[in-house]
Amino acid sequence: MPQIYSNIDLFEKVLDALWLRNEVISNNIANVNTPGFKSSSVVFEDILKKEIEEKGTGIKGYITHNKHIPIGKKGLMDIRPQVVINKNTALRNDGNNVDIDNEMAQLTKNTLKYNSIVQLVMKEFSILKNIVNEGRR
Amino acid sequence: MKMFHSIDISASGLTAERLRMDIISNNIANVNSTRTENGEPYRRQIPVFQERGRSFGDILSDKQWRMQKRGVRVVGIRQDTSPFKLVFDPHHPDADENGYVRLPNVNIVTEMVDMISASRGYEANVTAINSAKNMAMKALEIGRI
Repeated sequence: MPQIYSNIDLFEKVLDALWLRNEVISNNIANVNTPGFKSSSVVFEDILKKEIEEKGTGIKGYITHNKHIPIGKKGLMDIRPQVVINKNTALRNDGNNVDIDNEMAQLTKNTLKYNSIVQLVMKEFSILKNIVNEGRR
Repeated sequence: MKMFHSIDISASGLTAERLRMDIISNNIANVNSTRTENGEPYRRQIPVFQERGRSFGDILSDKQWRMQKRGVRVVGIRQDTSPFKLVFDPHHPDADENGYVRLPNVNIVTEMVDMISASRGYEANVTAINSAKNMAMKALEIGRI
């Protein structure tokens, strides 16, 4: 039987990553007029997809003591969003490479994603509540 | 990763763009000022923006992209050192012996373009704040089933 909160834990990870992405996009937008600024982006979905596809393959060392070094593949709960700085492009003469249209589109997309994941968490909780109540209202 | 970092970051952008707008207004207001305290015509002012980066200690202690002290910072207001405009106007009280007046090095077209850029930047930051607010409000709904 799977863990009762495993879905919610996963959603929590995704929400954290989306929140971080919101901060990174805010930072890009705040620096839209800063000469030489290079924009950053968050890589998360690809890492999560790779992790889910490789689920059950590979070995992972158990950690039974807090001074143990984790070995082997990472679990779903150990993945972290990565912040990548886009250093290779320059959009303007002052070296700034913030594409404001793209940033605004990403911002909207990110908010929608966040709201839909929150919706899923709420759904998950309502299912659990239904189970706890044995299906009664 | 703190809850209100996004809003703080965008607020720093708002502050910077508003300061830029103030300076542009000052430049436009002084487009014909031939006298200042130091005897020269008015020099165009330019705000200098810098990303609020990580300190060396932050990088040493943690490789993760920490959201401490992010955003944009105005490091100073510099003067445009380009030459003044020379206009032939012998009746002007500030004209030199050849009849030329030195006018400020403010180009009104450049200022207008900068003004549009500053105001669009301001709007973008407001949108970012609104979206962070929406996300936070939505997250509050999790507890309410």
